[in-house]
Amino acid sequence: MPTDNSFATIDQATWEDLVARFDGRMWAVARAFGLSAADAADAVQGAWLRLVESAGTIRDPERIGAWLVTTTRHEAARLSRRARGEVVSDLDVPDTALPDPTAAVVDADFGRQVWRRLDLLGEPCRSLIRLYVLHPEARYTQIAVRLNLPIGSIGPTRARCMARLRALVEEEETR
Amino acid sequence: MREEYLLAALRMGAGADPVPEGVSAAARAVFGLRVPGGVPAGPVDLPVPPGTRSSAEAGAAQTGAAQTEAVEAGTAQTETAQTRAAQTGAAQAGVRRFSADGLVIDVETAVIGGRMEVAGQVSPVPGPDARIEVRTPHIAKVRIPSGSGHFAVAGLPPGWLSVVCHRPGHPPVFTRWIHVHL
Repeated sequence: MPTDNSFATIDQATWEDLVARFDGRMWAVARAFGLSAADAADAVQGAWLRLVESAGTIRDPERIGAWLVTTTRHEAARLSRRARGEVVSDLDVPDTALPDPTAAVVDADFGRQVWRRLDLLGEPCRSLIRLYVLHPEARYTQIAVRLNLPIGSIGPTRARCMARLRALVEEEETR
Repeated sequence: MREEYLLAALRMGAGADPVPEGVSAAARAVFGLRVPGGVPAGPVDLPVPPGTRSSAEAGAAQTGAAQTEAVEAGTAQTETAQTRAAQTGAAQAGVRRFSADGLVIDVETAVIGGRMEVAGQVSPVPGPDARIEVRTPHIAKVRIPSGSGHFAVAGLPPGWLSVVCHRPGHPPVFTRWIHVHL
């Protein structure tokens, strides 16, 4: 990382190191929104382009990873809303000084811990979340057929299951 | 903890759907899109005359609003990408204004037949040696602005787009990247 407290002087090797460290996390976040591969690729590329155009304003290179993940989430949410027909601005960008600190949980090791917590949940939560994770583009109708649940119950059940999983994870973190 | 982050961590933990090499290659290539010494031009709201629909309303009826916005941008006298888009019922058309270093760059986009058309105007009119570079991550095209500061480029792939104004004796001014959908 540059040591002059500025990101403007970054070289290609440092850039490629950033790509190697964070592009998998950025991809995972974009796909977690249920975006197609093409839209997820656009969201990830958009975050890198935002980094290029914001380089002069970044004063804390150590927080770039969190900012990249935050910005990917932002771009993915925007593309997701637009895919649903909503009118969205394409020019609002997260503040480079305020990356979301919770972005640090986007990590394979942490993910494996969460899988272990997921195994503590009963059905249908375990199968429902597993389906959501591995097939984020799946529609409610597909999930309802697969799990033999009423289609109207998928959204509320999913919200309840995610809340339970989040509580289990946070409980583990506070131990 | 955001739900999307939790889901993303689970995806990574499962080793499912690793990032495609093409996405990583595109990320590495973005380094070459820096504009050393350049001045970023941020978005500026376009003036909306009384009686004109707001941009949100315009978005709800995008094609119909395209011609109105072109008038606002002062570019209606030429057949712009946007007005052509309105005439052909293109799925996406828009005009955006950026400003920095005393320069205003209006950028209009339309996607017609799967290709992106870009038209715009730089004001005040830059000198005769100015160049306008219309960039996507894959291709850049350079144009000499007209006597009124207009420029146009056609045949670009839809997606991310930025415009750079190069003027002798001045740092280049580049617009923020915008995303143009099919």
